[in-house]
Amino acid sequence: MSEQVQQESVSVATGETLVEVNDLKTYYDEGGIVDSNPVKAVDGVNFEIKRGETLGLVGESGCGKTTLGRTLIQLEDATSGEVLFDGTDITELSGTELKDWRRNSQMVFQDPESSLNDRMTVGEIIREPLDVHDWNTPQERRERVRELLDVVGLQPEHYYRYPHQFSGGQRQRIGIARALALEPEFVVLDEPVSALDVSVQAQILNLLEDLQDEFGLTYLFIAHDLSVVRHICDRVAVMYLGNIMELGDTSELFDNPKNPYTHALLSAIPEPDPTSAKDRITLRGTPPSPRDPPKGCPFTTRCPMKIRPEKYQDMSADTWVAIEVFREVLRERSRAEKSLTEQAKELLGMETRFSDIGEIKQELFGDIDLSSEVERHIDEAAQHVEDNDEEAARRVLREEFGSICDNQKPDNHVVSDTGRVSHCHRHMSEYTDPDEFVPYTER
Amino acid sequence: MSVDQERDDAPIRERIRENPGPALGWLAGALLLFALEAGAVVHLVTNLLGTPVELPTLLSRDLIPNNGYQTSSGVWKDTFLGLAPAYAWAIRVVLVYAYAFVWMLWLWRGYLVFREHYRYADWTPRDDMIDRLRGHRWGQFGAVIVFGFVILALFAPALGPTTVERTISNPYSHHIEYYNDQGQLENITVGAANLGSRSQGTPDRNVGPMSYDNYGRWHPFGTLPTGKDMFTFMAAGARVSLFIGLISIGVSGFLAAAFALLTAYYKGLVDLVVVIVGDSIMSLPRLLFVMLLSVVLGDTWIADIYSGALVLALIFAGTGWPFLWRSVRGPAMQVSEQEWIDAAKSFGQRPSVTMKKHMAPYILGYLLVYASMTLGGIIVAVAGLSFLGLGINPPTPEWGRAVDIGQSYVTTSSWHISFIPGVMIVLVVTAFNALGDGIRDAIDPQSEGGEGDGAEVAATGGGA
Repeated sequence: MSEQVQQESVSVATGETLVEVNDLKTYYDEGGIVDSNPVKAVDGVNFEIKRGETLGLVGESGCGKTTLGRTLIQLEDATSGEVLFDGTDITELSGTELKDWRRNSQMVFQDPESSLNDRMTVGEIIREPLDVHDWNTPQERRERVRELLDVVGLQPEHYYRYPHQFSGGQRQRIGIARALALEPEFVVLDEPVSALDVSVQAQILNLLEDLQDEFGLTYLFIAHDLSVVRHICDRVAVMYLGNIMELGDTSELFDNPKNPYTHALLSAIPEPDPTSAKDRITLRGTPPSPRDPPKGCPFTTRCPMKIRPEKYQDMSADTWVAIEVFREVLRERSRAEKSLTEQAKELLGMETRFSDIGEIKQELFGDIDLSSEVERHIDEAAQHVEDNDEEAARRVLREEFGSICDNQKPDNHVVSDTGRVSHCHRHMSEYTDPDEFVPYTER
Repeated sequence: MSVDQERDDAPIRERIRENPGPALGWLAGALLLFALEAGAVVHLVTNLLGTPVELPTLLSRDLIPNNGYQTSSGVWKDTFLGLAPAYAWAIRVVLVYAYAFVWMLWLWRGYLVFREHYRYADWTPRDDMIDRLRGHRWGQFGAVIVFGFVILALFAPALGPTTVERTISNPYSHHIEYYNDQGQLENITVGAANLGSRSQGTPDRNVGPMSYDNYGRWHPFGTLPTGKDMFTFMAAGARVSLFIGLISIGVSGFLAAAFALLTAYYKGLVDLVVVIVGDSIMSLPRLLFVMLLSVVLGDTWIADIYSGALVLALIFAGTGWPFLWRSVRGPAMQVSEQEWIDAAKSFGQRPSVTMKKHMAPYILGYLLVYASMTLGGIIVAVAGLSFLGLGINPPTPEWGRAVDIGQSYVTTSSWHISFIPGVMIVLVVTAFNALGDGIRDAIDPQSEGGEGDGAEVAATGGGA
């Protein structure tokens, strides 16, 4: 068996594009009766995956990385854009074409407790894809299952056991065997080790690497554990709020991040050396709602290196941060659900938990000397809030303190010789590059 | 690969061919048991085809008769071995229940044989369920009563001291013999004898439970006000109740499962439509609606089948499925969120197969629980309708009608007419609920009191 595999792996030409994603968008809850504002889980991403490589996809929870992975194997329908698999746009496939294509791409799921049907034996679970695609004779299918059990490091005798009888790591091996049953070219690994013990994680990662060498597989490795990504991936894509912020060679990206978000993300990796002095960039607030993402750069609301408007270039860092926090507070307030009583109180002009704008202003700007111009705009915005017109308040602040980051989506700038791209306005020649810029919060 | 493994791969047919001993032994048991009652089956089948063929059957009333007459010297004629009718009848009842019990043992034995000789897996999640059911006394109590009830319904013609045909539907075409006061053997119609064995509340006109009437007839449950044997009435009534219960639960269970799977798999609009339809049906006052329907449908051809039992069963199914569906919709939704559903979709499994293979096993347990609990409710409802004079058309026996007929005699010496059917309804309904409890605890170890560790265990019914 292994000789045959050897031949196959030789025939895999690396470097040629297997998956190409062009301006892919996946929105949820479209065309709802009440609320037609969809969740923009994946909001226009472009990248390609080379044959035989492992592309990592990292980002915080809810940034859309799992949705992207699921869209790539057509578990979710893309809203727009295309996914070219060997040149075929798979978002257009349906019926038998889609079913035939599904042989080529499989998924390993995050939670091995949930990904295996407990009422079926391990053999039946691994055999099911073969049955679905009428692979050879039943006898050969059973042999194939035993072979797969062996490949993923389980015993052929486990055929008639039930998933209950296995540990988490073993269950994940069963899930991997099922994904490999149809000999796919492309496997989406959706946080395959995050539900496992650390000791087992390494075993599974090594198994995945061995399988990749043996069968010439192409991986999309979704993870939030950065050290795991660094270990296994050839290239990494960093995702934030449905957008890919930076994509490039793993070691290069980890050693020398270019995008402000990547900076912040990587600074969160704990350093094993207690004496090392590391500047950790703590991001304030939470990511904006994917229903209502910022108009410009997706990271603009939290970016510690945001470009300031021309006339405020000399403003102190403290003032700038305070203004940004003030805008953040207003954004969060407009996101908060208002109960019926609160809406009624608001209409009647009564006090609600949203109406203490004066206190907020005092807390943020109390210790800061504001220039008269800044103060005028802040007061104007606060006045709008008191009149229950938060939309107008936000507009005033955006017009006054907004910059290119608020108004224009950044381009993907090529930032290194290896073709790394970063999604940030600071790469334009007129601004300071992110890696040379000291974040406002660090000053 | 190894010889051992090739044996493993054989389908069950070949596994049995390889090692036929245990399976053959088990099958022989079945044949033996079947042979005892083959006559009844042949009779049933040939009756459907035209002329019934009579074969000797072990547990028939012909072989163990309890109808006869007592000579003045106290000797019984025409009864089994010359025994008193009470003993002849008791022997028959015991034999019938023993026979049914042996069948149950045979089924259990079959499971053990399969588990020991032919199953590859040395453990399956179902083993744990069965183990838990074995330790569940309340559920076993329910199972025993339900078993008794089902056998009463199934073997009704053999269990009664007489038959529905002889004493209820056609009493004036059948005759009995007895020694009259003058010491002469007299031949009268059953109908005439019934007039003399009426239970109408006065001590001189009452045949209570466990007593003979003046014609030497044995009445285990006494007689009805018309003088007809009540045990025969109850046994036949059990048949009707069970028929209605099973048909309506079968139909509504099927609808509930199908809708639950569809709504959980597709969600969205399908779910909304079924929710609206189901809630509309549930919002109707059910008893009134059922009464309305049984009156409206009362004149149609379908109401003539089995004295209206079929139409009642369908009415209960049509109004009852939303309740069952509501109970299994939650579990179905829960299962539909599991990643193995996504996995099945990712390699192109058909939705219908996914529902059947990956979702249905998880809701069937719940369905069984709710079905067995609802079954009791349906039996009560049918009895209630018959009590009101709506349900099953007379003269077909029905328990609720017996309660109705006897209600004016409750405080008299003929108290048994309402009391016995009432107690039996309570017992059977309780038993179905107890059985449902037992099944639920078996498939869901958490409900016993925190044994499992998480919601998955509840949904999967495994753990341990």
